Amino acid sequence: MKRLFKGGEIATEDSPKLTRADVLVEDGKIVQVAPGIAAGEGTEVVDCTGKVILPALFDVHVHAREPGQEQKENILTCSEAAINGGVVGFVMMPNTAPAIDTAGVVKTVLESARKCRIPLYTTGAITKGREGKELAAIGAMKAAGAVMITDDGYPVSNPVVLRRAMEYAKNFDLILASHCETMELSGKGSMHEGKVSYSLGLEGIPAISEEICLDRDIRIAQYTGAHVHIQHVTTARGMNTIRRFKEEGAKVTCEIAPHHLIFNHEDIRDYDTSYKMNPPLRTPEDNALLLQGLIDGVFDVIATDHAPHTEFEKKNDFQSAPFGITGLETALPCLYDRFMSKGVFGWDVIVKRYSAEPRRIIKLPPVPVVEGGVAEFIVFDPNGSTTFTKEFMKSKSSNTPFLNQTLKGSVDVVVLKDEVLLNR
Amino acid sequence: MPDLAPILSKQDVTQRIERIAQAIQERFPGKDLALVGIYRRGVPLAERLYTLLKPHFPDLNIGRVDISLYRDDLKALEIIPKLIGSELSFDLDGKHVILCDEVLHTGRTARAALDELLEYGRPQKVELAVLVDREGRELPIAADYVGERVTIKPEERIAVRFVEVDGEDAVYVQQGGARR
Amino acid sequence: MTPRKDLLDIQSLTDEELEFILSNAVPFKNLFKRSVKKVPTLKGRTVLTLFYEPSTRTRSSFEIAASRLSADVTNFSVSTSSVVKGESVLDTVATLEAMRTDYVVVRHSMSGIPNLIAKHTNASVINAGDGFHAHPTQGLLDVFTLREVFGGDVRGARVAFIGDIQHSRVARSTNLLCRRMGMQTAMLAPGSLIPRELPQEIAVFQDWKELYAWKPDVIYLLRVQTERQNVPFFPSIGEYHRLFGLTDERLKWARDNGIWVMHPGPVNRGVELTDSVMEYERSLIDQQVENGIAVRMSVLYWLKPGSSTEDKP
Repeated sequence: MKRLFKGGEIATEDSPKLTRADVLVEDGKIVQVAPGIAAGEGTEVVDCTGKVILPALFDVHVHAREPGQEQKENILTCSEAAINGGVVGFVMMPNTAPAIDTAGVVKTVLESARKCRIPLYTTGAITKGREGKELAAIGAMKAAGAVMITDDGYPVSNPVVLRRAMEYAKNFDLILASHCETMELSGKGSMHEGKVSYSLGLEGIPAISEEICLDRDIRIAQYTGAHVHIQHVTTARGMNTIRRFKEEGAKVTCEIAPHHLIFNHEDIRDYDTSYKMNPPLRTPEDNALLLQGLIDGVFDVIATDHAPHTEFEKKNDFQSAPFGITGLETALPCLYDRFMSKGVFGWDVIVKRYSAEPRRIIKLPPVPVVEGGVAEFIVFDPNGSTTFTKEFMKSKSSNTPFLNQTLKGSVDVVVLKDEVLLNR
Repeated sequence: MPDLAPILSKQDVTQRIERIAQAIQERFPGKDLALVGIYRRGVPLAERLYTLLKPHFPDLNIGRVDISLYRDDLKALEIIPKLIGSELSFDLDGKHVILCDEVLHTGRTARAALDELLEYGRPQKVELAVLVDREGRELPIAADYVGERVTIKPEERIAVRFVEVDGEDAVYVQQGGARR
Repeated sequence: MTPRKDLLDIQSLTDEELEFILSNAVPFKNLFKRSVKKVPTLKGRTVLTLFYEPSTRTRSSFEIAASRLSADVTNFSVSTSSVVKGESVLDTVATLEAMRTDYVVVRHSMSGIPNLIAKHTNASVINAGDGFHAHPTQGLLDVFTLREVFGGDVRGARVAFIGDIQHSRVARSTNLLCRRMGMQTAMLAPGSLIPRELPQEIAVFQDWKELYAWKPDVIYLLRVQTERQNVPFFPSIGEYHRLFGLTDERLKWARDNGIWVMHPGPVNRGVELTDSVMEYERSLIDQQVENGIAVRMSVLYWLKPGSSTEDKP
């Protein structure tokens, strides 16, 4: 089976410059990347004129909600949502019901993932039931296939437990991912503590709740020599802490979610629960500084923290509604619409931060569009547009402020080896 | 205001009011008389009658009623009227009250004004004086003093203008406008 | 004035709407001097009070306002002992829809509940206090009272709020309105009850001495929430009263300087104020209660069930 992707421009992680080239795929491999490849007999031609061909995206932070919360999402629908957004592979978070905290649950989840058209990976919990008290069966979960440990959704509040977990995880070369939050400071807060929370009369989650925990977790990691991955950073001060520790040589990586670059607390008008997530939307100043941090390379990866919730749950009042926003389907179009189409950053940032580095974090090889490489890429139409209706989205849930909004750009084709997973 | 000529000029208006004043004076020589104007344009009518009648009735009282709270169509309105408030600073009990309004049409305004009036006290008698009486009654209400009777089409409306409110004294017939 | 469907907060009112409500409240208040205090304006309409947080005063004030407009008033009995979440509130709202209620007066301990209800009913929703968010009719009645005190022109009047600023919807709504009407405002409270970020530049005082120097015309005492505190915001009621309460000594200062005292009620004697404030000649507390009825009548007069909410700025 031969396919020729003709007329597109190739994006790489090394340069914002796109290279005009055709891509010939045979038996799941990229056999030729060159301008003006002629289509031979029996070759299927995919017209990519005016479009960008980039390595398939990869997301290290996804809530697939299986097992136990299938009314929100399941592994299959989540994987289809990913494909719809050009994401070919992701890492699932353990805050399911039951939590993914034993080798048994890890195996169940990975078994369920086999029916999907893209490769999926899972984390395991750091502590039993994500309760922050006793270590979960980290070694057994690693053996069963877990690629990372985290109690995401919660921090490990007790520093002694966190220290033990980090020391223990080193034996298995497992990264420990931290959801940074000082629970006592967050209290019953439901949004960023500031002017807007005061006006809306909502209890706030102060920036220091995240910053103190983040600082603590990196210090413990540095002290124990473990690799800590800081999830969903939202404040500029927190980011600067990471920057400083990186300069000191600490083994720390971190991620930024698109919504924390695009939205801020001022968007929460009239108690719109689609803007409720944890960590919360911060300030416009944070938006700007985090964006600069992404461009400067402080953030190793972009990750969506795709967190589906049902319409019923999100229809609740702001305090009672659950935290979370979906992201797999909107990530690339929203980043393109808000930043790339305006020249704020180039395709190299996307390829590096949302394709290559996320794979490297869990020790997978990146998938550049090069001769001899595996065919794992997407075709993006910068002149197209996408309207995020419920019908368009494959996720079971539609808790996103982009619902029924139209964004510039369109993920037109998704290729994994010999299969075209999506072709609009 | 349309270019159509008024059906009553400034002079006509003055004359009609004087005629009403005279009729009141003739029919009612006693004490305890009170004039109550209905906002907006019943008020200048009451005030003018007051000026004309005061020399003959030293104890004459004047009041003003804002019937907005007594309307039967309030929540059907596109615009909620700003309240002016009623001003009835004298004791109504036993008074002979003449309600004043510029036009009598459906009778609903007079009905509302009556309802309001009766909540301030128990007048001995209530009468109605209007500058213009036209057809179209929806309630069994009739005027006791009328400046001018006119016959117009149902879709037409009478627009009374007073210097105090509108900058001129005149009465026009308008096509179609919404009735108040 | 074009009617609106709901009154949820102060921010969404335009200057014209504010003026409309406040100036109409004057003729409503004048009705109270009549022997018949009732007008037939809302005859045949239903006003339902839905209070998830106990408040006899506010509820009664709305009830009297509605009945003086001849509306039928019903108390919808709901739990005030436990926090009822939005989803259950919406179940109740569906019931109200079926009952074809025209006005719903809501109080709830969580912010934003009236906004949520307003989206799901054709009835006019009036926020009678939600969480720490807003208490718009309180703000309106307070400013109405200040207009009476200052003869209509309140610009430049100096109002100091004292007490639990952080958790007070009254401070939010009244302060916001005072500032919109051109008044100067300031705050005095323990640091732990002052929000870290306020929406406006506003003077925050550490003690009464600083407040004296500011020369306020009005001091507005806020109710101190002694319940619902995991980690207390101040060491004790006694210390609060000594340091921040309107004590006899401070009341003397107020008397000597002709300062007006306001409070949204109900008062905590011996906490935010001393007993003798109740006999203070410049206490506006009773006047606030009376004005509350007039202002609420004015609000009911203006709102129109089922009318568009899309014109919100």
